[in-house]
Amino acid sequence: MTAVTGETPATGSGVLGQPLDSREDPQLLRGEATYVADIDLPCTAHMAILGSPVAHAKILSIETKAAEQLPGVLKVATAADFTDVMPLPCIWIPGGVESHFPPHPYGLPGARPVLTGDTVRHVGDPIAVVVAETPRQATAALAAIAVEYEPLPVVTRADEALAEGAPQLHETVPGNLNAYWTCGDKDRTDAALAEAEVTVELDLVNQRTINSPIEPRGAVGDYNAATGEYTLYASTQGPHNHRFLLSALVLGIPFNKLRVIAPTVGGSFGTKGYLYPDMALVLLLSKALGRPVKWVDTRTGLMNSTVQGRDHRQHVTLAGTRDGRITAVRCTSYANLGAYPSTIGPGVATALMGRSISGMYDIDAAFCEVYAAFTNTVSLGAQRGSGRAEAAFLMERLVDRYAGEIGMDPAAVRRKNLVPKEKFPYDNGLGWTYDSGNYQLNFDKAIELSGYADMPARKAEARTRGKRLGVGLATYVAICGVGPSTRMSQEGMLGGSWESANIRVHPTGEVTVIVGSASTGQSHGTVFAQVAADEFGIDPDTVQVLEGDTQKAPYGQGTYGSRSYSMAAPAVALTARKIKSKLIRAGAVFLGVPEDKVVYEGGRVYEEGNEQNTKTFAELATAMWYGWGLPAEIEPALDETTHFDPPDFNYPFGTHVAVVEIDELTGETEVVSYTAVDDAGHIGNPKIVLGQIEGSITHGLGQALMEAAVYDEQGLLISSDLTTYALPRAADVPLFTLDKTVTPSPHNPLGAKGAGEIATVPPAAAVVNAVVDALSDLGVQHIDMPLTPEKVWRRLRGEAQ
Amino acid sequence: MNGRPEQFTARPNELLVERLRDGLGLTGTKVGCDTGQCGTCVVRLDGRSVKSCLVLTVSAAGSEVATIEGETTRGGELSGLQEALRQEHGTQCGFCTPGMVMALGELVDSTAGGEAPTEPEIREWLTGNLCRCTGYHSVVRGVQRACAAARAEAPSGVGEPAVAASTTAGQEV
Ligand code: FES
Ligand code: FES
Repeated sequence: MTAVTGETPATGSGVLGQPLDSREDPQLLRGEATYVADIDLPCTAHMAILGSPVAHAKILSIETKAAEQLPGVLKVATAADFTDVMPLPCIWIPGGVESHFPPHPYGLPGARPVLTGDTVRHVGDPIAVVVAETPRQATAALAAIAVEYEPLPVVTRADEALAEGAPQLHETVPGNLNAYWTCGDKDRTDAALAEAEVTVELDLVNQRTINSPIEPRGAVGDYNAATGEYTLYASTQGPHNHRFLLSALVLGIPFNKLRVIAPTVGGSFGTKGYLYPDMALVLLLSKALGRPVKWVDTRTGLMNSTVQGRDHRQHVTLAGTRDGRITAVRCTSYANLGAYPSTIGPGVATALMGRSISGMYDIDAAFCEVYAAFTNTVSLGAQRGSGRAEAAFLMERLVDRYAGEIGMDPAAVRRKNLVPKEKFPYDNGLGWTYDSGNYQLNFDKAIELSGYADMPARKAEARTRGKRLGVGLATYVAICGVGPSTRMSQEGMLGGSWESANIRVHPTGEVTVIVGSASTGQSHGTVFAQVAADEFGIDPDTVQVLEGDTQKAPYGQGTYGSRSYSMAAPAVALTARKIKSKLIRAGAVFLGVPEDKVVYEGGRVYEEGNEQNTKTFAELATAMWYGWGLPAEIEPALDETTHFDPPDFNYPFGTHVAVVEIDELTGETEVVSYTAVDDAGHIGNPKIVLGQIEGSITHGLGQALMEAAVYDEQGLLISSDLTTYALPRAADVPLFTLDKTVTPSPHNPLGAKGAGEIATVPPAAAVVNAVVDALSDLGVQHIDMPLTPEKVWRRLRGEAQ
Repeated sequence: MNGRPEQFTARPNELLVERLRDGLGLTGTKVGCDTGQCGTCVVRLDGRSVKSCLVLTVSAAGSEVATIEGETTRGGELSGLQEALRQEHGTQCGFCTPGMVMALGELVDSTAGGEAPTEPEIREWLTGNLCRCTGYHSVVRGVQRACAAARAEAPSGVGEPAVAASTTAGQEV
């Protein structure tokens, strides 16, 4: 483990923390970046996937002869062609509890086949593939594959899947129960609830949503028969992870025979870190055909195959005193894992949600239990703010309900229960130890900035226009910086979760930084260059950043859980520091003075008290490359690597305030203002983080107002394209009022906390709280998301939920 | 095609986006959906922005088609709109970006000499383009910046370049 001191960032050249323009942007603006769909290797053949049209059925027969005869078709393959291929494993099982999974030959707990041969378990479950000369030919041939099904009963809800007599998905998983997982202190919580002056409860549906990155997924497999090496180009946010999982655990080929390349990736928000059948299939079929094989998904394909998010049905309870002190919180959740365990879905549905439920509050007793169940729906996975958004939602809904019950202002209740500054590090009693925070400062800033005090007057004014104005608060803590490998192993993660960086200083003084992480639109090239330039005291334009190719980059887990800046950037900083300390040792030789007289500052070394005796960074780089005159204990050249495994996670937090207006006539909800004050510790590039915060809030508003994956009783995903699944458009969002507080994390040398997705955590709660506030005089205590005009309109007319 | 004649035979059911990407190798135009909803495929047909996934190639015969590749030479200087979007970081993953540039270009051009579009007008204009990364805010600021710059450069010299680019407070998030 790397020693961490919690020191503040270096200020060598002062470029860290500056809103530099993204160096990635010009290429993107010209349309010159290469995404998977733009890769065109010579002799490429094209793959299409036949997904099941039914949600649950036995496959009686598959007839492929007719498809094989069609023009351009090169191969039709089914599960029978891949009997020696291992299924795709799940690597995050809920820690510390008995879990049931479909088995994997390596003794791993969770798995799904690359193609389904016996029983299909969700619409879109891949059954067969066609490879043809053109994409159109491949797609056309799918229609000629005849599959005979024997229908089985369908279940799409977690609670129903666990009921007596429910359809069974996997022979090895009795009662469809993947795991019963708990955290916190049950007895203490139950006692607190029993003794409480006030208790409030809610039944919540945190609806299933679809991340829908604008670029659908894609993969190109290229097998080289001469060397026996495989190359996979894929829209992935974790090329190293995919290399490890595919080579060792699925294909059974040596690790060093597989190279994974992430080209430019068109957004991910969690979904592209998962292992999907297509990634294995393009490699296997490339080997079979001796040609590169390419597959690019459609939007409907994405909706029926790429992991979906959220999906909890919860019963939640809060206990407190009459004067607003929260004494306990309890949650029972039914989590819908979908048909198969996705790469890390079971961990998302349990630990990431459950351990976060107490949020920014100092609560004496807390307990969460999760029943994670398999159903006939697409597999569950991460989704921007995953787990933490679900937790913030239930807690923030409860706090408002409690405030209403005791007749206290929701802001006052929150203020009273925030974890006090002196209590950090703070053990939340559910498994997380918050690193640092000043919640009062953050909360007060948001309340002030939002004009919270003026709301009564604004409500009255709105009524004169036929509108009901409501205000909703939501606070949150988001666990980020995943993570400390040992800690993650306790959570059931099968794999290290550190991050690495390599820095090579070239003989000319330019620098190459190579990281194991991989961007999906976060301008890593800009920010990691800032980190290195700042440490060295050099111009960031002289720093090149490489990532996303396992043959070039050191290992790393990739971009997820808002971890790149608080995991990979510290690795860059620590590597630069190794190089600087070497330069000080070598500087002593070059300057002819003892080491303790050598000062490294502003991109050069000099003799203390005699700045004339100096060498610039570029001169040092050249001298180290020559290596002339170096003593034996100093190796020539400058090339260092760091593997950063922090002592613990980091915990960004914040307060959001939504103000909505509801049209009395139509039930339409408009978000008229939105204030967010987030704290992500020290930020590397505020311009880039601003964009991520704005996008994140918009994503969260989407869940509150319009997004929902809707399955019918047959398990058909009705919302399977962008005409039936609503995403927020530009006219759906107002400008936001944003600010920040800065509480550095002690767990990494940059004082950084996660930032990318944290602002997706509270908006759903803030908006629902605002809408319930606007309708509270009608006796409305809760409305399930999404808050469609029809739903709100019915409540305005006094209909029950 | 971007000012150069192109001659080819198209299948009757071929979509313009297929011709651009697969036939002509103009991969700057993206495909994000199957249903004409996302706007990643927007190009300009005789000066008007259209979704090229909804246009049959044959119906575009004889028209002028402008794609993102025609906005600038490879690696060359950015257009005014692109530059403004760069300064506002109006792009993250960049997948929606070429379609946005093509759609917004029509707006900026059409208002260059007259009234700058208001913020709601820009948002309305953007309704045909989906972006999952930025939440549109930086794109809106970019268009405001581009319009201001275009107006400042217009021969009549109308307008001041300094519009309120945003009411977003505390951009130093
Ligand atoms: S690809 Fe044309 S609108 Fe989506
Ligand atoms: S920048 Fe990623 S979709 Fe718009």
